[in-house]
Amino acid sequence: MKFLQQPPRFLFFTGKGGVGKTSIACATAIQLADAGRRVLLVSTDPASNVGQVFDVGIGNRITAIQAVPGLATLEIDPQAAAQAYRDRIVGPVRGMLPDAVVNSIEEQLSGACTTEIAAFDEFTALLIDSALTGQYDHIVFDTAPTGHTIRLLQLPGAWSGFLEAGKGDASCLGPLAGLEKQRAQYKAAVKALADAQRTRLVLVARAQQATLREAAHTHDELSSIGLLQQYLVINGILPRSETENDPLAAAIHEREQSALNAIPDVLRALPRDQVMLKPFNLVGLDALRQLLVDTPAQAATADSGIELDEPGLSALVDGIAADGHGLVMLMGKGGVGKTTLAAAVAVALARRGLPVHLTTSDPAAHLSETLDGTVDNLILSRIDPHLETERYREHILATKGEKLDAQGRALLEEDLRSPCTEEIAVFQAFSRIIREAGKKFVVMDTAPTGHTLLLLDATGAYHREINRQMGATGLHYTTPLMRLQDPKLTKVLIVTLAETTPVMEAASLKADLERAGIEPWAWVINNSIAAASAKSPLLRQRAANEIREINAVANQHAQRYAVVPLLRQEPVGVSRLLELAGGNTDTHLPEHSL
Amino acid sequence: MTSIQVFDPVLCCSTGVCGVDVDQQLVVFAADVDWAKQNGAQIERFNLAQQPMVFVENPVVKSFLERSGAEALPLILVGGEVALAGRYPNRAELARWAGISKTVIEIKPAGGCCSGSQCC
Repeated sequence: MKFLQQPPRFLFFTGKGGVGKTSIACATAIQLADAGRRVLLVSTDPASNVGQVFDVGIGNRITAIQAVPGLATLEIDPQAAAQAYRDRIVGPVRGMLPDAVVNSIEEQLSGACTTEIAAFDEFTALLIDSALTGQYDHIVFDTAPTGHTIRLLQLPGAWSGFLEAGKGDASCLGPLAGLEKQRAQYKAAVKALADAQRTRLVLVARAQQATLREAAHTHDELSSIGLLQQYLVINGILPRSETENDPLAAAIHEREQSALNAIPDVLRALPRDQVMLKPFNLVGLDALRQLLVDTPAQAATADSGIELDEPGLSALVDGIAADGHGLVMLMGKGGVGKTTLAAAVAVALARRGLPVHLTTSDPAAHLSETLDGTVDNLILSRIDPHLETERYREHILATKGEKLDAQGRALLEEDLRSPCTEEIAVFQAFSRIIREAGKKFVVMDTAPTGHTLLLLDATGAYHREINRQMGATGLHYTTPLMRLQDPKLTKVLIVTLAETTPVMEAASLKADLERAGIEPWAWVINNSIAAASAKSPLLRQRAANEIREINAVANQHAQRYAVVPLLRQEPVGVSRLLELAGGNTDTHLPEHSL
Repeated sequence: MTSIQVFDPVLCCSTGVCGVDVDQQLVVFAADVDWAKQNGAQIERFNLAQQPMVFVENPVVKSFLERSGAEALPLILVGGEVALAGRYPNRAELARWAGISKTVIEIKPAGGCCSGSQCC
């Protein structure tokens, strides 16, 4: 593997969610540790699963992995980091000020901004030389899905600039104001990122058009902030040997090869490695040690025929259509196919003559490419964080800043450059669209898990704020969170793959939603090999591995569910999407819908 | 020079732009504070959410909080004594406390006839 040769001090793995960067980061860390290096593996993903991969509880502190001498891991859990930050501020005044006052401080520090900032603060601490980092030869970062990664990596640069430009104490740094003294640390962090001697970025992708396009986009964005030493890893390639006698495997192989042939130019120039698809799930040390080793896939043993009779997506669409309108949110880890399934549900509803608005808040989504055509009754939109932030800034300047003099406007403009403004702006756009769901269908292909939760957190903060303001007036009101909690108005579909880690992640998403008072309406298991008819030994082995996961979803997690097969052709375009959503309409009545 | 201390309630930031709804009063007051500072006033702001220890360490502020609670903020001290509570001062009040001459107030406004929170 080229990306493993002469590794520098910092290794970052990034890519669209679900491409396997956690597995590759873990395998890399193990390999370096096995070679006698001292390694710290850091996850900055708000929905981290490194602990699951090693089967140990890690959490927000450095934990040695006993089974791998030299390896320690750390999960930067934004929620825990925020709690630590709150304790630092609130702890000393507890008992010194009235309880109500202390509670109001804690509430203020429970928003999305505090969370993001606290995580950021921990992240930069790892990029500078200190007694803590000095113990390690390599620090391997399993970063968050792309959109989030870009923001996280851009923050040190953006925020240092922000701090320098800040005029006195007036700049709106939000909770960051308490961290201003660490300016030198942020500067050092930026410098380390841009130093090719110290930092290597590994773009992880699958041999699929969408993830390659995304990797090219990440390449450009991160090059522009100075991360120039980049490598490319294509993960999970189906070996040619599997294609004999299996039309599905042959179609997948062909699709992958043509995606690789059409690889974007900026990626073509990068040093490239390929990791073959393995028949096993990447959980546990043995599996991870084999990931980066190019042994031929062992002959798969599962030869028992797999006959699946699972409900398809059409039953779920029937259930959604029955209410005539509402918000349909597809949630789940990035890369599980939310965009495709959202498009399929939207097209199927529109085809029934129902008015549908299909939208996304995922900066990395490609709705129009997926749809590749137009459908009556269906409109498309996206919540573009950049655009929304700009619109919001202009709106505030035009309204709240209207009566200010030039100096005052400049000050407000400066403050609106706060990193928190984006969260607020996206939230505003989100609530605007939710309101439409009272009359029509709004199908939302949401951003990856961690992001979405931050968004919901902002919704919760708003809910509390309005409650406080409206509580006394006795007026009737509905907050966005109340809409999300009402099953008549909102249906959350959790999307996952039939693999161990994705199902675990989906279950923890479900728990998070339940804490917010939102009960997921259904689960969709996407790209199931077990639901397709595979003949290749490797695919059959993977199909056999899926059964346990499908059963877990059906019996433990979901009120209702659907299984969507892996298709020979990528479900792009209106007719294929319709097939995906309604293919079983005739044969499968909604027996599982209640 | 007399020092003006502003004890803010819990704020995301001093202009309030981080909040779910931007508070007009905060926007105007931030601009007024900035203006007064440009004219030599000595003004400090403390945010209950970020610097609660300052509230604890000042006996006047601490007993104010104990008596009236955080809802009664902001509290403005001039030369260490209570000058105003429950609302933000306007530009004229800041100018008077800071001893900024009236001519400056009249010359300074750049945005037409409007100045600070007062608009004709």
